[in-house]
This record gives sequence, structure tokens and C-alpha cells, in this order.
Amino acid sequence: MKKQLKRILKITGWALVGVIAGLVIYLCVVSADFLQFTITGISVGMVYALIALGFVLIWKSSSVANLALGQIVLISSWFTYSMMAQADLPFYLALPVVILFAIFLGWVIERFALRPLIAQPILSLIAVTLGIGYFIEGIITFVWPTSVAALPHIFPQEVVRIGPAVISQEYLWVVGICLVVFVLLTVFFRYHRMGIAMRATADDQMAVQACGIPVTRVFSTSWMFACVVAAIGGILISSIGGITHGLVETGLKSFSVVILGGLDSFVGAIVAGPIIGLMENLGGGYLTRYTWAGVRDIIPFVVIIIVMAIKPFGLFGEERIERI
Amino acid sequence: MSLPCGIRNHSYAQDMAIVRTRTQWGLLLGLLVVIFTAPLYLSGYWMGVFNTIGITLIAAIGLNILIGYCGQLSIGHAGFIAVGAYTSAILTTRFGLPFPVALISAGIMAGLVGIVFGLPSIRVKGFYLAITTIAAQFIIMWIINQWGWTGGQLGMTVPFASVGGYVFRSGASQFYLIIGITVVCVFLAKNLARTKVGRAFIAIRDNDLAAEVMGVNLLYYKLLAFFIGCFFAGIAGSLFAHYNVSLTPEQFSFRDSILYVGIIIIGGLGTSIGPIFGVLFIRLLQQVLTINVVPFLENSLTMFPSGFASGVTPMLFGLVIVLFLILEPRGLAHRWALFKASYRLWPFSY
Repeated sequence: MKKQLKRILKITGWALVGVIAGLVIYLCVVSADFLQFTITGISVGMVYALIALGFVLIWKSSSVANLALGQIVLISSWFTYSMMAQADLPFYLALPVVILFAIFLGWVIERFALRPLIAQPILSLIAVTLGIGYFIEGIITFVWPTSVAALPHIFPQEVVRIGPAVISQEYLWVVGICLVVFVLLTVFFRYHRMGIAMRATADDQMAVQACGIPVTRVFSTSWMFACVVAAIGGILISSIGGITHGLVETGLKSFSVVILGGLDSFVGAIVAGPIIGLMENLGGGYLTRYTWAGVRDIIPFVVIIIVMAIKPFGLFGEERIERI
Repeated sequence: MSLPCGIRNHSYAQDMAIVRTRTQWGLLLGLLVVIFTAPLYLSGYWMGVFNTIGITLIAAIGLNILIGYCGQLSIGHAGFIAVGAYTSAILTTRFGLPFPVALISAGIMAGLVGIVFGLPSIRVKGFYLAITTIAAQFIIMWIINQWGWTGGQLGMTVPFASVGGYVFRSGASQFYLIIGITVVCVFLAKNLARTKVGRAFIAIRDNDLAAEVMGVNLLYYKLLAFFIGCFFAGIAGSLFAHYNVSLTPEQFSFRDSILYVGIIIIGGLGTSIGPIFGVLFIRLLQQVLTINVVPFLENSLTMFPSGFASGVTPMLFGLVIVLFLILEPRGLAHRWALFKASYRLWPFSY
């Protein structure tokens, strides 16, 4: 009985997905506004997915919930600003420096804050990342007291016409770069020794330790990767919208991606990112008329509450069964 | 409960008593006398500091019941405080209700909102719950920012608290009002931990599945924890509104929510004395930093761009939270317990 019900639910779910996708494509063809919202939504959603991947990486390998993600995004955007606007480096030189900085940041956080807390209760692990976030926010105010800045243009500025819609080229570049990073990460996890070790650690930490894989180094690497991915996300999103304190909120919004996709699923993050981006942009575009201003920024948080109520482990997440 | 050398309990009532020995009674009365005569020798400035400490303490006690006793992580406490503050402000300004009614309704309203956002706690815990409460914070603050009755970004002005025609306008009267309610709240929280409800909370914190198997109604007690925790937050918010007189949404930021979690971690989770230590530590540190350190840094290090020193406070708070988690996860309350233990047998060494 329950099995049948589940099957029916699954079929209706997929049918619903198909109908919605069809509707979106139809509306894209019909309305220029809609097409514009869709493309910006998907590209912003890709960035969310990128940042969310950083979260999933850490969660999978060491089951630490990194709530400092927004602050990591913000500080790497500011660092990029320093490199490009203040030190006047061209982008192809600034990018490696920023990536090195992100690697260093990840190493420091893991080594000095998370390593001493291995095997502590989840509350401590969450609270310590909150503390790190607070600390990073302090550093940001300390080093860059001006609260708003614009990143120099990285991508060409000419607009692109897709059918009836006029779209800034930046969005297409963002989508392209995100896809490249996804592919790189997938290849890394599939073929590189460290990637395989990280997947193995996510699967069974005890067994991995017994095999002689240095688990602490795996944790450290996953933090470095997460920070690099978050930094790239930060550069992309601040090249479109400038650097403001709102980037912290962007980091928090990417949690809705994580929740919707499932905490321990890469595929989930990649699928859920564009969905959240679409919902945010379409909702912001069409709902603002009927509700209060700023509804756009609140949609991801509403999604979190809804997902929690209906399917707390997300679309692709693994449901953990607890035993006493 | 640990007793001094040579003291025995002869009845259950004696065993359960909070204040056991004559020395403890003396200390308690002395403390109360010191607290309630404070307006005589404190300057207006320090009374303001202690008012803030009292309000923060009420909120921290609520959060301690939620996180420390019941184990339900909430990182949206500032949002629930805001609900209380705005409820009280709207009730007194728009509906002309007296302050005591507004105070209680603020608590109940915040508690009900807490229950709504606490509903997912039945199915999820840990990180999921943390994210839900973060979402709650942002949704609540969005509504407050946009809703007409709350004055939006401009905020609203609130009358001073008044009971039966007497207006709490002077510094001393506000001090008595706030500290009086704080003392009552501390007493309530201390007692709550010893009742059936408190024991159920602790059982849920330690292992909720085991608690359920033992017959603790998880749905009821988790939502009750959310209600009580947010009720305290609402009381704190109402007091804040009528003490601060003007309300703006920026006063209830996400940063503050993190700070409240930090406060109870520094103080010691799941102890009744912990929030007191934590609040004193954080608020006094904040005072020293904003009054002494930040202007000093601004004036002495002129080569940095202006405004840089305001980053020192969050930096230090973050550092303190991380260091406490690593070095003393049980907080200042544990240190205090160790201190008391080492003096229990004093001056005998055995």
C-alpha cells in the first residue's frame, strides 16, 4: 500500500516537473520579460549552486555545517577587489592570487578552529562556524571599512540579444564559468587520488582510517576546496552586483539550495541552484506588484521553511535513520 | 547538589531546596540588597549598562532553555525578540493597552511565532533546525521592515512603560522595573529546570529517541521549549522597546542572533548560572571595547581609513566564541563549579 502510494507520488512529481518545465519554456518563447528573468535567474542560481557545493563538500567529508559561508564569500570578494582595484592586477593574475588566498583561508579555518573540535557534538561544530563568521566580519570591517565597492569589470560589457530579450553578457559568462567549475570538480572527484579519498571519507570514515588514508588531510583539503569554490562564486556574483554586506545574505541564501537539493548531494546542489535562482528572479519579477518590496530576497528563506515542512532531507538527500 | 562539608539532608524538601545553608541565604540576601540599592551609588551611565544587561539576560535565559536544556538549536533569537518588541509597541501605541498587558502579550505573541517556526523541530534537528531558525529571522525581519504598522525602516517611537498612572521615566525606576523582572525570570528559569518539564527537556536534549521511548511526548515538549524560550525573548523585547523608546529593525540583526548563541556558550549551556556569566562577560567586554578601545585605536592609528576600529568588536567576539568552544566548551559556569568545588572542603584538604 505504502509502496504504491510512493510510486504514485513519484509519478505525479515527475509529471509536475515536466509540466512546469514545459510552462517555463512556453513562457520564455512568449514573453521577453520572462526570458530575461529566466536567464538571470539561472545564472544567479548557478552561482548559488557553486557556493552550495562548497557547503556540501565540507558536510560530506567531515559533517561540519559551515555557517560562515556567507562571510567567506564576502571576504574573498573584498580580497579580489583589493587585488584588482587597489593593487591594479589584471584579472588573469588576480585570480590565482585570490585562489591562493582562499586555499590559505580554508587551511587556517580547518587547522585552528575545526581540528581541535573533531568528534564534538554538532552544536559546537555549528557554533564554531558562527564564531568564525563573526570573526571574519570583524576582519572585513577592519580592513575594508568602506561598506560598498564595485569590482572592476571582468567580463565584456556588450549586451547580447537572445530572441526578444536583451541580456548583459556577464550572465552568460557566469553560467559558462560555473559549468566549467562543475566539470572540473566532477573530474577531480572521479579520477584524482585525493578526490577518491574524499568520497571514501564521506562514505565511511572508520573504514577509511583503517585503510591508512589521512583523514585530517582530507578534511583540510575539503575546506580548501570549499573556500576556493566559494571565492569563485563570490567573484562571479560581485562582478554582477558589486560588493556589499548583502553577500553574507547570498551565502545564507545558498543554504536554501543545500536544503532543497539535500545536504549530502552534489547533484542536488547543482539541480537546486538554478531552481532557487529561477524562483527568486521570477518571484521578484512578478510578485513584487502584489506583495511588499524585497519579496525577492525572502523567497529562498520561505523555500527553506516549506522544504522543512514537506521533505526535510531534500530532493536528493539521503534520509538518515537513527538508532538508539 | 553539592553540599559543604558536614551538612546532611534529612528530608526530600531539604534535598530539593535551592538555598540550603545559612551562608547561602546570607549571600543571596546580600546580593539582592546590593542589586536593589544599586541606583543609590551607580551613575546614570552604569545604570543604563545594567539595564541592557538585564534585558539581554532575560533573552539569554530563554535561549538557554531552548538550546541548553532542550537542545533545540535556534539562531533566530533576535527575530523573536523583535516580535515581542513590536507587539508591545503596537499594542501600547495603537490600541492604548496598559504596559503590563502589553508585556505579557508580547511574550505570548513571540512564543506563538516561536511555535510556528519550531514546528519543523518535530522531524529535524541540528543543522536543519539552525537553518530553519535563520530563515525565521529573515522572514520576521522582512515583515517588520515592510509592514505599515511597524513603521518600516524608519522605526517607531514607543511610550515609556507605565503601571497604573506611574511612568517609568527616570533611570532608577527603569532600573527597578527591568532588574525586578530579570530577577523573577532567573528564578523561574532556575525552578523550571527542576520540574517535570525541565527533566523532559534534558531527556530530549540527551537523546530524543530514548526520551520518546520512555514516554516523553516529543511534539508537546519540543514546542513547549520553543514557546517558553521565545516567551522570554518576547518579554525581553517588550522591555527593550519601552526602555529604548525608539525601535528600528536594525536593532534586531542576524549578528545579534549569533551573539546570543555566543553568550550562552561562553556562559555554559544548560546551567542556570551560565547565561548570567555570559551576559556579564559579553556586555561588559562590549562596553570596554566601544568606550575605551575603539576610540583609542581610531585616534592612535591614523594611517588606516576611518571606521576601521569598529571591526575590533566583532573580531574579538568571534575569537572569544571560538576560543571558548575549543578550550572550555562547558563555559564559565564549569569554571565556577570547579572554583566552588575547590573551596567546598576548605580549609581541610580531605
